[in-house]
Amino acid sequence: MITETLTEQKVAFRPIAENEPDWLYDLRSRAWDYFQEAEMPSQVEHLWKYTKPKWFMPKEIEKKMSVLPVASEIKDEEIAPLKPEFAAFGCNHGDRITYTQLSEELKSSGIVFEDIQKAITNHPDLVQKYLGRLIGYDFGKFEALNMALFNSGMFLYLPPNIELEKPIYMHRHPDDKYNIPRLLVVVGDNSKATIIDDYAGKANDRPYNANCAVEIFGGQNSQIRFVSPQNLYKESRSYVTQRAQIDQHGRMFSIFVSLGSDVSKFNLGTILNGQGAYSQMLGILFGDEKQHFDHHTMHHHKAGESFSNIDFKVVLKDKALSAYTGLIKIDEKTLNCEAFQENRNLLLNKGARAESIPELEILNDQVRCSHGATVGPIDPEMVFYLKSRGYSTDEAVRTIVAGFIEPLLTAVPEDLRQMMQNMVQFKLNNGTGE
Amino acid sequence: MSDKKTVFSFSDIHVEVGGNEVVKGVSLDIKEGEIHAIMGPNGSGKSSLANALAGHPSYEITGGKAMIYGKDLLEMDATERALAGLFLAFQYPLAIPGVTVANFLRAAVKAKHGGDEEALRSFRKNLKEKFKLLEVDTSFATRYVNDGFSGGEKKRLEILQMAMLDPKIGILDETDSGLDIDALKVVSKGINSVATGKNGLLLVTHYQRILNYIKPDKVHVMMNGKFVREGGPELALELEEKGYDWIKAENQQAVEV
Repeated sequence: MITETLTEQKVAFRPIAENEPDWLYDLRSRAWDYFQEAEMPSQVEHLWKYTKPKWFMPKEIEKKMSVLPVASEIKDEEIAPLKPEFAAFGCNHGDRITYTQLSEELKSSGIVFEDIQKAITNHPDLVQKYLGRLIGYDFGKFEALNMALFNSGMFLYLPPNIELEKPIYMHRHPDDKYNIPRLLVVVGDNSKATIIDDYAGKANDRPYNANCAVEIFGGQNSQIRFVSPQNLYKESRSYVTQRAQIDQHGRMFSIFVSLGSDVSKFNLGTILNGQGAYSQMLGILFGDEKQHFDHHTMHHHKAGESFSNIDFKVVLKDKALSAYTGLIKIDEKTLNCEAFQENRNLLLNKGARAESIPELEILNDQVRCSHGATVGPIDPEMVFYLKSRGYSTDEAVRTIVAGFIEPLLTAVPEDLRQMMQNMVQFKLNNGTGE
Repeated sequence: MSDKKTVFSFSDIHVEVGGNEVVKGVSLDIKEGEIHAIMGPNGSGKSSLANALAGHPSYEITGGKAMIYGKDLLEMDATERALAGLFLAFQYPLAIPGVTVANFLRAAVKAKHGGDEEALRSFRKNLKEKFKLLEVDTSFATRYVNDGFSGGEKKRLEILQMAMLDPKIGILDETDSGLDIDALKVVSKGINSVATGKNGLLLVTHYQRILNYIKPDKVHVMMNGKFVREGGPELALELEEKGYDWIKAENQQAVEV
């Protein structure tokens, strides 16, 4: 039994950082207990209807992936200097290589951008204030596992009143084990940042599993643009839980691009925590072969006059499958909210399959809400129209797909659009998702 | 007799849609510079013929021959037919959301001219000219193809495409339907600009109206899947005056005899 194997591995509770603080040890212990005691999610639960939980269980927990501080195998002199287009750069390859770089002007700003283990040692109070507040140890079985044993990740803290023009780029690259990264992002009041969390990679041609947690805090009047392209190796499985919490008049713009993995399950949520908070979520998914995607998004309006919108576009070919559940939740006393949700699925051939399930929990009447979902094959009349103008069948399909995604791309801020376009184009041109 | 080359011809074409024969053996021969019109009442098979010739997968050509500049049309798929110089102006042009008119046409021009740099270089200038010719606003270029277009705008765009692609044979499937008189004039001007004397045009219509602006060399009347009468431009006028019933009646008699 898998759990028995894990039990033997109490070894996991060696300190996460040198002198692991008590609060963290306690938190992780509770998480570990929760993980062991929690039943496997039942497939009767709607969020697990399409995806088998056991796909994300580690077969064994190796000593190496226990919670020792990451010993970076990379030497300082091997690290290329920070590219001028970035405000900061963070690199994380499995639990072997990790480093962060800051531009000169950022160094004196009070920003903290470190490997998460280092941050625990260097800024324990700051980490304690935020870690696990959005994805707690009892969030779910796999989230508990992440909390108990996270073995890599980054901590980003941007103090109030700092506006970054250039993006912070994180290159996160799992290795061929069961990866348990954790990302913690705090953007202070009136601060502004663009964060690109590039989750990609192929590791020695060996399949791997990633269990990832991302917590994002946006202060009052903060502006966060969080871009997460997922282009993991096609033999891998990824389980990602992301929660963002936006305070009064803060703005969160999140973009996710799902291209990689064999099986991926994403649970992406933004909590509108303060009056007038704003969340815009844009998602593109392009699946082929036998890829299996399971996305859940959530917008929880905990404060009045808040706004949310999600536009998720899915393109599937071959035998790829996408299941999407999108929740809009508006509390009883949070009035005058606006919440919109749209999910469109384009199927390029018969074997592809898409499910789309909107969920609305709206507990008051003083709201403006709409949701829409479509699943449909590519229109053969459209293909014929393009062919009659000299397009090959492939070009016709590519053009229709590009057109399908275009309205979403135009909603992407201009400076990020090219990057998105390149990623989609690459996959459209039969990129292998590696 | 004329020693002009045949641009486009077909003989004894049969077309089936969903197992029903809708075109039952029709033939014609279009020479360089000629404009032919196929006229006929609704349901006579005109549009099916036009779609089948352009290679629409739902319209199966079950018999006959068709040649474009001496090449076997029926061996080609829709793309190859377009690249060989056949253009179909659709009766109901499709919307391609998210694809701008300019990008849509640039790709079509590129497909036609391959690596010919000159054609692509002059694309912008050429497009501007055609906008002017069809009296459409330059904002057309950045609008999505037929997306939210009025009926008239769609037809203008069809002819604009034809003018950009300069086909050897243009088949116009009821391009005149749904156009007001001003739009009809503009669209006709566009169609006439394509008729360079080197290529051929085939107008499919059931009204004579458009033939006031575009003078056909030959008129074929189609009924129940067949050409039942052929003549010069005067035939169109006769139809306008008398309707289709007299031909129908004559035809019925012929069958009975």
